[in-house]
Amino acid sequence: MNKRIVITGLGVVSSIGIGWESFWENLLQGTSGISPVTSFDTSGHFTHNGGEIRNFRADEYISPDTQNMLSRSSQFAVTAAKLALKDADLSLEQLSTMIVGTCIGTTMGSVQTSEIINQFIVLQGRMDFGNNLICQVPTHSTPAAVSREFTLTGPNLMFSTACAAGNYAIGYGFDLIRLGRADLILAGGSDPFSKVAFTGFNQFGAVAPEKCQPFDKNRRGMMVAEGAGILIIESLEHAVGRNARIYAEISGYGLSCDAQHMTLPSVEGVSRCMMQALRETGTGIDEVDYISAHGTGTPANDKTECAAIHEVFGPRARHVPVSSIKSMLGHTMGAASALEAIACALTVKNNVIPPTINYETPDPECDIDCVPNQARRQKVNVALNNSYAFGGNNASLVLRKYIP
Amino acid sequence: MKRTVVITGIGIISPIGTGKNIFWDALFHGRTGFSPITLFDTSQHHVHVAGEIHDFDPVRFLGKKGLRELDRSTRLLNAAAKLALEDSNLEITDDNAPSAGVSIGTTFGSLHSIFQFDRAGLIEGPRFVNPSHFPNTVINSPASRVSIRYKMKGFNTTISTGFCASLDAVSYASDFIRLNRADIVLSGGVEELCEETFIGFAKLGYISGSDNSEPCCCPFDNRRNGIILSEGAGIIVLEDEDHAVKRGAPILAKIAGYGNAFDPSGDSGFNSAGQGLKKAIAYALRESSLSLHDIQYISASANSTRGLDRMETRVIRDIFGERAFSIPVSSIKSMVGETFSASGALALAAAVGTIQHGIIPPTVNYREKDPSCDLDYVPNIARNQPVDTALVIASDPYGNNSAIIVEKYE
Repeated sequence: MNKRIVITGLGVVSSIGIGWESFWENLLQGTSGISPVTSFDTSGHFTHNGGEIRNFRADEYISPDTQNMLSRSSQFAVTAAKLALKDADLSLEQLSTMIVGTCIGTTMGSVQTSEIINQFIVLQGRMDFGNNLICQVPTHSTPAAVSREFTLTGPNLMFSTACAAGNYAIGYGFDLIRLGRADLILAGGSDPFSKVAFTGFNQFGAVAPEKCQPFDKNRRGMMVAEGAGILIIESLEHAVGRNARIYAEISGYGLSCDAQHMTLPSVEGVSRCMMQALRETGTGIDEVDYISAHGTGTPANDKTECAAIHEVFGPRARHVPVSSIKSMLGHTMGAASALEAIACALTVKNNVIPPTINYETPDPECDIDCVPNQARRQKVNVALNNSYAFGGNNASLVLRKYIP
Repeated sequence: MKRTVVITGIGIISPIGTGKNIFWDALFHGRTGFSPITLFDTSQHHVHVAGEIHDFDPVRFLGKKGLRELDRSTRLLNAAAKLALEDSNLEITDDNAPSAGVSIGTTFGSLHSIFQFDRAGLIEGPRFVNPSHFPNTVINSPASRVSIRYKMKGFNTTISTGFCASLDAVSYASDFIRLNRADIVLSGGVEELCEETFIGFAKLGYISGSDNSEPCCCPFDNRRNGIILSEGAGIIVLEDEDHAVKRGAPILAKIAGYGNAFDPSGDSGFNSAGQGLKKAIAYALRESSLSLHDIQYISASANSTRGLDRMETRVIRDIFGERAFSIPVSSIKSMVGETFSASGALALAAAVGTIQHGIIPPTVNYREKDPSCDLDYVPNIARNQPVDTALVIASDPYGNNSAIIVEKYE
């Protein structure tokens, strides 16, 4: 039950890099992945920018027959899984000797396919769209696609806990290994660029016109984006047994629900979540060296999150670096906390903190050190990865430097 | 050392009845819940029948305030949650709220809302879409609204694994109780009847009557040719045994074990599947410290499609050997229809009724034997037979398989 759990492989599909190496390099250089939206016409919307992935070629990773059966979300997840397995130096043959599970998180699932189907039905009055599209709609087609691609027989779960889903998936993957139900888990999140999400957040007035500026006094909102992040997690014993490279250790996580409002965050709820994560992992507030913020760049989220960090960390709140990589990627929805967990793992391993870019004007309501604009070299032993979601679903994950 | 998970309440909204007692009564009398669809226009479809819940009156459960912004899945689930809390004599207070969680299985719970929201954008333009409908497009909105309405501040999780979703949600909830992260969890599942899922299943050829025959839900029967699509919500109140005893809660049964496994070779016709379900059952048994011999009833997920019913039969035969023929196996889907992600919670609720009353629900509409389905399916009439231990199973065409063992509480 008290097995140590470690991260041994990383797979990234993002607007600033496919594969963790280019993703990490761009994070440290403060590269933005935001550009004008091209996957649909935005002329009727209030804003026109987003975090689409331009250079993703599914055929580089997935066979044509399989590709045809997979939504964009599933294609991202399978690709990220493939990259992560390669990074973890795991062959299909090795995988076949273990119980390997898949835990994925998502906000909108395969919504892009639903949007395509709706175009047939609503705009063309046609019902003769392909059955392959219908088979892509159920959200659990994504983790199923991953386990099918690599012939995995362990638990297979889709967590639909919106914008905190990646952390839920990684957390339960951690539990499954500790409980002895799996040897290894492919855990993470995936979400496609969604017109429904873009329209919804636009109608909420929550989308920034140009860029995402977390913690800035003049921040105007979030940026809808897409991506996938998959982490290979296994017990330390298992990792050492196969001579795996270890990025970081997962100490554990905490969940909470605001139980207040579908869309407005609550200081009480997110504070409770961070405290739960610290309590469950036996981590003191003085030990936390870095907080990867949910940091969407909306006025309400950043203010709430900073107040909660003050609530939990007291006077130390102003001295813990808190950055949001959403300033570069935008909000990749269910993939966000998985990509942020990957960034945390690399931070803990390399002692470099990715910055919050686009930071210009301090906001007294966001009185934290947001690592403005420049990456920072600093020793990081413990990172706290925050994520919050519609419905008040909160999740915080604790990663720790691996020390044998 | 290890915490024991017990069931202290059940809330059901289904086409065969509202509330656990009426639901059980309908099952024990073999009543079906199929009727003409009124939720959407079926004039363009071959099939006009489903398990629609006609008598569902959300105002009765949720009041009028704020009702307009809740979609059907959310209403069904919140109503079931209310019934479950009442059944469990449970009041959520400031003291117990942080240790009260919610774990829900749904896969299509927001599908209708997503399509409608997108449709409004396509027809009227994106600037004319009603923002208050946006929160319903996230799949976790039904579960989240349960936490909001009943002030449950522990974890809140939505799991989407198709046919297996509510069994997986119950397993997840049980883990959270065992890991000391919660004392009480409302777990279960919901799925609403809507035109979008109906069209999807129909186009894939899953719906009985698509070939202009009379729709019939007859699991294991040789005439079976598809599902009758249905809707419902089931909430099972799971609780740490000590917590339940301390507050004098009614304990209906105990969760003995659970497991899930994936079948990467699975196909939509379940022709080559089976290994995953076998593993899920084996894991559930291992966790329960029970043996195969202890299983006295199996609640199958057979839904009247040719492949799934045959696959379940094959797996039960392979696992139980000769004894397979003397274990009663029934599918309540013959009465309730296919409620997809809610089906596991409804089956689990039914199994608790079986343990409580010593009555096994039948597989109704059973007439013609299929040589490849040769077990005791409790045909057409409920059976009086004491059951201490029941196995509830589910399999999904994408490859998911789940099993839960529920046991009499003593």
